[in-house]
Amino acid sequence: MESRILKPVLAVYVGLFLLFLYGPFIVLGILSFQQGPEGGPQFPITEWSVFWYRDIFGLTPPSRVAPLPIGVSLFRSLALAGMTMIASTVLGVMAAQAFRKNFPGKTVGFYLIVLGMIVPGILVGLGTGLVATTTGIERHWWSTAFATHVVYTLPFAFLVMLAIFNRFDASVEEAAWSLGVSPITTFRKVTFPLIFPGVLSAMLFAFTLSYDEFSRTLLSSGREQTLPLAIYSTFSVEIHPNVFAFGVLTTLFSFSLLAVYAVLMTLSVRRAKRMAIQEAIG
Amino acid sequence: MTSIEAAVSKSERPDRGRSGALRAYLLIAPSVIWMALFLVLPLAMIIYVSFWTQSTFKIEPKLTLDSWQTFFGSDTYINSLWTTIRIWLIVLISTFVLGYPTALFVGLFVRNKTLQTALLVLCVIPFWTSFLIRVIAWRPMLGKEGAINIILMKLGIVHQPIEALLFTELSVVIGMTQIYVVFMVGPIAFMLGRIDPNIIEAARDLGAGFWRILRKIIFPLSLPGVVVGAMFVSVMVLGEFATSAALSGRKVNLLGNIVVTQVGSLKWALASVVGVILTAIMGLVIAGLLRIVDLKKEL
Repeated sequence: MESRILKPVLAVYVGLFLLFLYGPFIVLGILSFQQGPEGGPQFPITEWSVFWYRDIFGLTPPSRVAPLPIGVSLFRSLALAGMTMIASTVLGVMAAQAFRKNFPGKTVGFYLIVLGMIVPGILVGLGTGLVATTTGIERHWWSTAFATHVVYTLPFAFLVMLAIFNRFDASVEEAAWSLGVSPITTFRKVTFPLIFPGVLSAMLFAFTLSYDEFSRTLLSSGREQTLPLAIYSTFSVEIHPNVFAFGVLTTLFSFSLLAVYAVLMTLSVRRAKRMAIQEAIG
Repeated sequence: MTSIEAAVSKSERPDRGRSGALRAYLLIAPSVIWMALFLVLPLAMIIYVSFWTQSTFKIEPKLTLDSWQTFFGSDTYINSLWTTIRIWLIVLISTFVLGYPTALFVGLFVRNKTLQTALLVLCVIPFWTSFLIRVIAWRPMLGKEGAINIILMKLGIVHQPIEALLFTELSVVIGMTQIYVVFMVGPIAFMLGRIDPNIIEAARDLGAGFWRILRKIIFPLSLPGVVVGAMFVSVMVLGEFATSAALSGRKVNLLGNIVVTQVGSLKWALASVVGVILTAIMGLVIAGLLRIVDLKKEL
């Protein structure tokens, strides 16, 4: 049959496709070990070294290459991502909780929230910048940029929670209510533990999207740069392998974040299973 | 957490009906207010300010068409409008052409769920690298002394390094295709994964060849995925400016680049005109794509 030829051909194609996706990053990883400070951001590697990694941490003697403006911008980005994560997860859980019932205006509300992930960042940034300049509000990463970040991440948190509530068995809540448990206690003891994996995913989404957000931040934050803005500002001048070394490090950071998420997820699933088993025995 | 509990406790009563709606409104109000203040108001402001009067360093709310005339009277801006549309179309086509076979393999040919998930995860992993790093990673790939030129010369395919690879429109297209192709693969693979294998089996039993099955059954059934993917890619490419700035050496100016440079020189009114035009194009594209399939019915 044709599919017997087609399947291996497609498999080879997918291999090439993955090479296309990963190729640039492999090259970037190799070049991050370029010799410094004379070694440029291209082949051949004159000598393998970790010079540019030490350069990032300020461990190299001053040279003609300006150090990457990381330190404080990294702190700003992490703080902003943390704030965004908390705000959008809380708002997203609340909004999704509302959507479990029918109410007039539900569709409008849905589209209004989802609009936040559809509108391109440059437009949101421009609009926020306009509102800030015309009203005389100063732009900062923790105020105006924070507002645009939540506009972007809230829809993701909302959709994740909506999916979770879709599969949620409401009878456990009703059982708690009928036993006279107050709604607050019910939410804390029954609903929240059950939706916790979803909350975790919503938090992960919000944190990583905000941490890497660039196009919204560019026009909506003030002079104090977040990490993506600091990286972008190095592009306009000549680039050096320290940008590559930094790329490798931030990728490792993202993966460790993913690992933390995976561990928390496994723990919460295991706990849920154990509780179910205990119930079955007891 | 306390705010959720407060909202829940405030409104949640055993009796349903009207109080149920009130409870829903209380829960959704913070999100709606946030979106109204920080999304709808800024977007409305873009439209409004595009008609303001621009002096050298400030804008005044005196309504005028000046900025609109500046935009449509300048070859530079009109050119960037066409460049944006051209690059959008090329990237849309290239992500589809490169992405569809991958989606076909992942969604249809791999029937093992674990392998399917593993392949999709492999496609998503690059997104854990910073967007800007992914853009800049193309420079050592495409440059005159870049990896591709070195490989091509080693293989004897070319004798002179190809200089047209970097700082051209081509490098912008390559970069964007790599960054956005996954948004095409995902939705298509999802739709293909839902196709009942029996339908294909039946068509084969009736003597249909693979290409005929692809054209008559597989492609039409995957169309909603193609449309969703095209919407993702379109919105992202139309709003782009970082890839073109970093990979074209400022030779390719998209509408997004114009917005950034105009804001940089405090020309807010002209930036707003570009913003409105960008919004209009996007609205047209999405409306057009939604006419192809009825997503509500299909998904």
